[in-house]
Amino acid sequence: MELQPVDNLPEGFTRGLNSDETSEEYFLNMGPQHPSTHGVLRLVLKLDGENVLEVVPHLGYVHRGIEKLAESQTYLQNIHLTDRLDYLSSHFNNLGYCLAMEQALDIGVPERGEYIRVMVCELQRIQSHLLWWGVTGMDLGAISTFLYGFKEREMITDIFEEICGARLTMNFFRPGGSFADVPDTFIPRVKKVIERMHVALDEYNTLLTDNIIFRERTRAIGILSREKALSYGCSGGVLRASGVSYDVRRNDPYSIYDRFDFGIPVGSVGGCFDRYRMKMEEMPQSLRILEQAVKDFPEGPYRSKEQSAYRLPQGSYYSQVETARGLLGTYIVAEGGAKPYRVKFRSPSFSNLSTLCEMAVGHKIADLVTILATLDFVVPDIDR
Amino acid sequence: MGVGGASGATEQVAEILDKFPGGIRLVDSIEYLVAWARANSLWPLVYGTACCAMEMMSAGSSRHDWARFGVEVARATPRQADLIVLAGTIVEKMGTNLVTLYEQMPAPKYVIAMGSCAISGGPFYYDTYSVIKGGDRLIPVDVYVPGCPPRPEALLYGIMELQEKIRKEGRRNPWKVGKVLETPFVDTHSLAKQEWLTQEEKKEDEQRLARARFKAENPDYKPAKPQRLAKEKFAAMPRIPPRKSGFTNPSLLAAVQRAFPEVALFRQPEITPATVADLGPEYILDLEIGPEQYPDLVRFLKEDQELGIDLLLQVTAVDWQDHFDVLVQLLSTRLGHKVFLRCPVSKEQPEINTISDIFRGAEWHEREVFDLFGIRFSGHPDMRRIFLLDDFPGYPLRKDFADPERVVKRPY
Amino acid sequence: MNQLPTEKIFPVHNSIGDLVRHLLPGSAEYVNGFLTIASLLLVVALLPVFLIWLERKVAAHFQARLGPMRVGYHGLLQSTADGLKLIFKEVLVPEGADRFVFFLAPILPASATFLVMTILPFDHHLQVADPAGGVLFALGISGLSILGILLAGWSSNNKYSLLGAMRSGAQMVSFEISLALIMLLIVMVTGTASLREIVLSQQGTILDWWIFKLPFLGFIAFMMYMISSTAELNRAPFDISEAESELTGGFATEYSGISFAMFFFAEFVNMFVSAGLAATFFLGGFLAPQFGIGPIDAAFDFIPGFVWFFCKTFLVIFLYMWFRWTFPRLRIDQLMYLEWKMLLPANLVLLMGAGFFLAMGWTL
Repeated sequence: MELQPVDNLPEGFTRGLNSDETSEEYFLNMGPQHPSTHGVLRLVLKLDGENVLEVVPHLGYVHRGIEKLAESQTYLQNIHLTDRLDYLSSHFNNLGYCLAMEQALDIGVPERGEYIRVMVCELQRIQSHLLWWGVTGMDLGAISTFLYGFKEREMITDIFEEICGARLTMNFFRPGGSFADVPDTFIPRVKKVIERMHVALDEYNTLLTDNIIFRERTRAIGILSREKALSYGCSGGVLRASGVSYDVRRNDPYSIYDRFDFGIPVGSVGGCFDRYRMKMEEMPQSLRILEQAVKDFPEGPYRSKEQSAYRLPQGSYYSQVETARGLLGTYIVAEGGAKPYRVKFRSPSFSNLSTLCEMAVGHKIADLVTILATLDFVVPDIDR
Repeated sequence: MGVGGASGATEQVAEILDKFPGGIRLVDSIEYLVAWARANSLWPLVYGTACCAMEMMSAGSSRHDWARFGVEVARATPRQADLIVLAGTIVEKMGTNLVTLYEQMPAPKYVIAMGSCAISGGPFYYDTYSVIKGGDRLIPVDVYVPGCPPRPEALLYGIMELQEKIRKEGRRNPWKVGKVLETPFVDTHSLAKQEWLTQEEKKEDEQRLARARFKAENPDYKPAKPQRLAKEKFAAMPRIPPRKSGFTNPSLLAAVQRAFPEVALFRQPEITPATVADLGPEYILDLEIGPEQYPDLVRFLKEDQELGIDLLLQVTAVDWQDHFDVLVQLLSTRLGHKVFLRCPVSKEQPEINTISDIFRGAEWHEREVFDLFGIRFSGHPDMRRIFLLDDFPGYPLRKDFADPERVVKRPY
Repeated sequence: MNQLPTEKIFPVHNSIGDLVRHLLPGSAEYVNGFLTIASLLLVVALLPVFLIWLERKVAAHFQARLGPMRVGYHGLLQSTADGLKLIFKEVLVPEGADRFVFFLAPILPASATFLVMTILPFDHHLQVADPAGGVLFALGISGLSILGILLAGWSSNNKYSLLGAMRSGAQMVSFEISLALIMLLIVMVTGTASLREIVLSQQGTILDWWIFKLPFLGFIAFMMYMISSTAELNRAPFDISEAESELTGGFATEYSGISFAMFFFAEFVNMFVSAGLAATFFLGGFLAPQFGIGPIDAAFDFIPGFVWFFCKTFLVIFLYMWFRWTFPRLRIDQLMYLEWKMLLPANLVLLMGAGFFLAMGWTL
C-alpha cells in the first residue's frame, strides 16, 4: 500500500490516501460555508466512497477574541459580550457571568428576581431547543420542521422582546437581579406558551420523532460511550444521552432550582436518537418548571441594591450554569480595579464538538450531518 | 455600485440598436424587464457567521416570510446565488473565504451587510485582534442594515431597498447619465433638505406668532417645571450561598495532601486541611503544583475511585506578567465537587507536559492555550493553532501582546 | 370494451386538420405536426413556470407562510422573474471542467422530458404520436435524464457534483426496475403497450380505473408507482443527489445561469410527465370520472378530456409535493435497501398476484 507524500496532505492529517488501484479514497472539504455546519465550522474529511475514514475539524472562522476584549471593558460592560457567545442561550450566559460577580461581591437576589431568572432561563431553553429541532429536521431533509419550530419560537421571542427590548442579544440580567421588572403581561403570555407548547410537542413528535425514516436515519448512528463522553468533557444532552445523569440545575443547583420538581432525562446508548430524545424530553420538563413558577410567582422587588461601579476583590471566581447545550462555566480572575484581569468561558459546545472525530468515523456523509445536528453546537460559542 | 449592469458585448448590441428608429425604446424596455426580473428574484447564499444569521433565519420564518419577495430560494452553492447577506462578524480567517465565495458568484451579484459587525466590526471594533472592521473592506456592499442584530423586518426593508436599487440599474441609472439619455442629474438630497428647511421656517414663524399671542392673552403664565420620575431604590441584601454537594474542602485537601504532601493552596500556602474550612463553603480548592508532578496529580485525581473526579471542565492559562499559570479545572459528575489546580510555567521556556493522554478532551483545550498563550504541551499529539491562522504574529491573550496593525486601541 | 374510434387520427383536433386538408391538400400532415409541436413547446415552456410557482405556494401553505406575493397576483409571475433572471445571468465554467460535456449535460434531461411529452395522451385526439410500444418509449427516453445528470457530475470537476451524480445514477438505475415492473403489470392487465389504449381500457365508471379495478392490488401498485417515481424524480424524501444539507448543490453545484435553469425546469417537467403517466395508468387518463349517476355523469362527460387529464395529473403532483414537504431524507444505503430488498420482491409478488387475479377473473 503506497501512501501520498506527507507534505502534500491537508492540514491536520498524518496519513495519506491509499493509492491502491481499487481504492476510492479522497479528501473532501466541508465548509466553512456549508449548510449543515451551522455557521462557519470547517471539516476536512477523508472519505472512501461515501464512508468517512477521518474527520479533521478546523475552528476559528468566527474567533472574535471576546476573552481579550473582556479584559479591556468594565465588569458591567462585559455582560453584553456574553450575549454574543452562544447567542441562542444569551440569558444563560448573562446569568453565569452575573452569578460569578454575585459570588465575588456577596450580592443577594430577592425572591421575585430569582423567579424571573428561572422562568426566563427555562423559556430560553425551550426557545433554543425549538430552533435546534427545526434545524435538525432540515439537516435530515424535512424542511418544514424548520418553519414549524420557528413558529412557536416566535412566541417566546415576543416575551423576551417585551421584557428587555431585544429578540436575541438580551443583556437582561444584572448582579442582584435583572435590569428591569417584567411587565404585567409576562405571566399570561407564559401561560399561553405553556398551553401551546404542550400541543406543539405532540405535533412535533408525530411529525418527526415517530417518522420511520427519521428513526432509521438516527438509529445506531454516532454512538458515544459513557467513558468517552466523560473523557472528552461533554456536558448537557450529549453527556446525559450517554447515560451520565448530570445536570447542573440538580447536581450543583444555582438560583432557586432546588425548589422545583423536575426530571432529568437520561439516555442509555448515546447515539443520535438518544441525543435527540434528550432535548425533546427536556422541553416538557422545562414546561413543568414554568408551571410551578407561574403558580408561586411572588410580588416584591425584582432586584437588590444597584451599584454604580462593580469592583471585584482580588481572587478568582467560578460559576456554572446549565445552558441549553450543557455546562457553561464562567471563570473570572480579578486583581482589583474596575476591569477583570482574565475572563474565561468554558463553553459546552467546544467540548461536545471535540467528540465528533470519535463518532463520525465509519459512518456515511449523511450520518455525519445527523451527528452534527444532534450535537447541537453554536460555532461562535466554540470560537469565542 | 455593485457588479451589476451590462457586460461588454450586450452594451455593444445596445449601441448598434440605438441607431435604428425606436431602438432606444426597445433597449430600454428590455433593460427594464431584466431589471424587474433581477430585483424580484434575489436568491440568497446560505451564509451566516454569528448572531445575525439567527435573525436572517427568522426573516425566512413563517411570521416574516421573505418568500413574499421571492427570496426563499436560499442556495447553498454560490454559483446559483445572487445575493450574499453578510450576517455576522467577519474575522481574518474567514476573510479570504468570503472573498472566494463572492468571486464564485456569477454576475450580477449583490451584497447586504447585516448588523454592526458586518458594517464596521460593531462591538468588536476596539481591542480585538481578529475581527475585520466591516465587510466592505473585502467586498463591495450595496445595502447596509444597521442593528445588533437587526430585526428581521429591518432585513426585509434592506432587501426592499436593494430591489429599489436594482430597478434603477441599466442605462437609466444616475451613474450612467449622459451616455445615451440626456437626463440631467438631480440632486434630490439637497432639494429635499431645502424643502424641509423652508417648511421648518414656516412652522417656526407660525409658532412664534402663536407664542406671542398666548403671552399677550395670559401675562402671568408660568410653565410648570418638569418633574423627574423617582428612581426606584432597592435594598441591599446578603447572598444565600447555594447548597453544595460532594466532598468538603477539608477532606478533599487532606486526601490530596496525603498523596502529594508538597501541594499547597494558591496564594495561601499556610492553609492546612484543618483551616481550609475558614475560606467558606463556596471556596473551590485551588491547588498549586510544580510542573514535574502536574500530570501525576491530574492522573491521581482522575483515578482515585473515592474522589470520583471524572470530568475535565477546561484547561486554560493566566498570564501573570512574570510567568504563566496553566489551570486545570475538574469536576465530579457523581458527587458534584470541583477541584482546580494550577501549575506555573516560565515565560522564557513556556513548555509543560500534556494531560491529553489522561483526559481526551484536554487535546483541544491545550491547543487553545497554545494558540492564545504560546504555551507548548510536550507529548501532545497534534500541537497546532486552533483558532488563528498559522502565520498570526504573537499570542493574543498574553498581556504584552501588541499589534498596531490589527488592534485599534479604545480611545476612552 | 372499446367504443371510441380507434382509427389513425391526426394529432390536432380534426376541425383544424380538416381545414388544412381542404386548403393545402397533401401537406396536412406536416402542418398538423408543426402545429402540434408548437403547441406542445408552448406547454413545455409554460408548465415549469407554473409548476415552480405552485410548488413554492404549496410549500408555503404547508409551512404556514404565504409564499411569493409581490409580483403579479399572489406572485404568479415569480417564476417568470426567476427564469428571466437566470437567462440574463453570467454562466460560469469551473476551471478544469470539460466544457463541451458541461454544456451538453443540461440539454439531455430537458430534451428527454420533452420527448416523453409527445406520447402523453392529453385527450382523445390530443397526442402527438401513439406508438404501439409507448410504455417502452417512455421508459427508454427517461433514462436519458440520468445520463445528463451523470455527465453534469463528471464534467464539473467538483467532488460534490461527482458524489451527487454517482448517488443519482445508482438511485435511478435501481428504481427504474421497479418502475418498469409496475408498467409491466399495467401492460399485462391491459394487453397493450400503447398509452392511448391503456386509457381506453379504463372506460366505464371510476371502478374501472386500474387503481380500483384490481381489488387492493391496483392501489398497492399505485402506491409503489408513487414511491419509485418519486425516487426516479430525485425528489424528497429521495433527493439524495441534491441533498442540500450534505452536498450543497449535488450534481448541479457548479451550474449557474441558464444551464442551471435547464436542470431546474427539466426537473419540473419531469414531474409533470411522471404524474401524467400515473394518471394514464391508474386514474383513467383523459376519461371523465363516471359514477353511474346519470346527470352527474353527463355533466362530467361534457367537460373536455384534457381538463380531466390535467386535474388528475395535478392531483398526483400535489401528492409529490406533499411528500416533499413532509418527510426527512433517506440515506443512500437505506434507499438501496428499500429498492432491492423491499420494492423489487414486492413488485414480483404483485405481478404474480395480478396475473392470478386476472386468470380467476377477480376484477371489479
